[in-house]
Amino acid sequence: MAIDTSKPADQPESGVGQGLLKGLSVTMKTMLKPAVTVQYPHVKPDLPARTRGVIALKEGNCTVCYKCSRECPDWCIYIDAHKETHEPAAGGRGRSMKVLDRFAIDYALCMYCGICVEVCPFDALFWSPEFEYAEHEIDLLIHEKDRLEEWTYTVLPPPALEEGAVPAADGAAVGETA
Amino acid sequence: MADIRERPAFQSSEVTSMIRGGGLDIEIADGSMATEDMILNIGPQHPSTHGVLRVVLELDGEVIVRAEPVIGYMHRAAEKLAEFRDARQTMVLMNRHDWISAFNNELGFVIAVERLAGIEVPERAQWIRTMFAEWNRILNHLMFSGSYPLELGAMTPIFYAFREREMVQDLMESATGARMHHSYCRVGGLKDDLPAGFLKRSVDVLAAVRKTIRDFETLIMGNEIIFARCRNIGVLPAETAVAYGTSGPVLHASGVPMDPRKDEPYEKYDEVEFDVPVGQTGDSYDRLWVLVERMKQSCDIIEQCIDKLPPGDFRAPKLPKTLKLDGEVYVRTENPLGMMGYYLVGNGKKQPYRLKMRTPSFSNVSVIPAMLPGTQLPDLISILGSIFFVVGDVDR
Repeated sequence: MAIDTSKPADQPESGVGQGLLKGLSVTMKTMLKPAVTVQYPHVKPDLPARTRGVIALKEGNCTVCYKCSRECPDWCIYIDAHKETHEPAAGGRGRSMKVLDRFAIDYALCMYCGICVEVCPFDALFWSPEFEYAEHEIDLLIHEKDRLEEWTYTVLPPPALEEGAVPAADGAAVGETA
Repeated sequence: MADIRERPAFQSSEVTSMIRGGGLDIEIADGSMATEDMILNIGPQHPSTHGVLRVVLELDGEVIVRAEPVIGYMHRAAEKLAEFRDARQTMVLMNRHDWISAFNNELGFVIAVERLAGIEVPERAQWIRTMFAEWNRILNHLMFSGSYPLELGAMTPIFYAFREREMVQDLMESATGARMHHSYCRVGGLKDDLPAGFLKRSVDVLAAVRKTIRDFETLIMGNEIIFARCRNIGVLPAETAVAYGTSGPVLHASGVPMDPRKDEPYEKYDEVEFDVPVGQTGDSYDRLWVLVERMKQSCDIIEQCIDKLPPGDFRAPKLPKTLKLDGEVYVRTENPLGMMGYYLVGNGKKQPYRLKMRTPSFSNVSVIPAMLPGTQLPDLISILGSIFFVVGDVDR
């Protein structure tokens, strides 16, 4: 089970100040190395494709099923829609479909968990690694569907998988558990 | 209006009785040389430190007579909020109570749900979970071993720690999508499989972390100032540590090797080889030393996980369409800061009926009133810093 690993010597072996000098040698070595800091506003970070930066909405794919807004842990997605009936050209019964009026995400509330993107059954929501949308006023953090649509242009393709990975079955139903 | 009693003027003893629920019993001698104990409030500090812990001290000169941590400033009702959310939504909350061991927290909760629902997790997912739990342990320990010297007045180590923390965070972000609140576990497996090149990159990061640990040992662990500030300061005997329910590095430093990873292995901890480093005296130096040694063990575990990672599914192929939680389960996991327990009770709904969290920081902080009395005020930082707590974890 657990072992009692021997500790380093109580006092430095050779004289007082040896520990300090050893430590200074480490800082000396580090001083000679190039800096690892990135000059952020001038140099943008290279973020991976999976980064949860901002949610993008492809409006054409949305069927107004309300799954995302129901599954959201803090209910920060607002959806308004109305029904329209289309009369088929060859007669018969009219088909009613929902039309999206408003789709907004309140990023002041969003916890960036990604559940909405996961449950979306028609691939209307995506994660984009963009993150520079801080505002001076909290109201402006509510992104309406036009702004969410713009984020789709920054979405990166999903990365290839590691060796030995079995990709998820295409169109696999994502229940409450998954 | 007659039954309103006249309240005497403000007295410090009354304030302490409000805090502690008991009066002061100091007898002040007559005469001009009489001394009086002083009440000193430390904190609450800014959340970006370890959180808003407030300690009320009773001082006799520079000697601490009594100490009482006042907690609750960061209470966010995570347990109550969980009663209105299903398992996947609760995971988001579990990420956040201890923000620097987010993956270990969600892992403990997801194991509790899986045991309650009787879901089998594929081998590959278990190995990846074990690996990520150890990456997160390294993240956490780098943070604390960097910030502890900072509290003692040494600026350099935290920059070294954050350099490697950044690498580990980037690595975890490439797989999970987030730097802090990973939300990577799902009931029955993981959200996604690892991205291509992850394991190769892990090996590089692991080498960098090992180098940092070596540098850190040269820089700090042999330093005379650290010896002077930490050796034989804040000695916590094993009996006291056990009596107050401490766990993790605090308990290990006192010489008790209680570790749920060894005692009741979860995930793949029974198939990897690692040691539980144990201190001898239980002083502040031992607690820091245990932290550093645990990082080395984590590196070894990650290496074994990379070698043994089998091919296969990352999520159980057959999952119940709707999850019903029924019955009760208690799961212990070894979080970076100590033993984390999730007591989950279900009554046939998808939301838990009750979720009780036994958080390591809460129990570790409770030992402060037993540790501080009799020590000097200047040693307070050395002792408080070495208990390694996150106040979000204390208050939930």
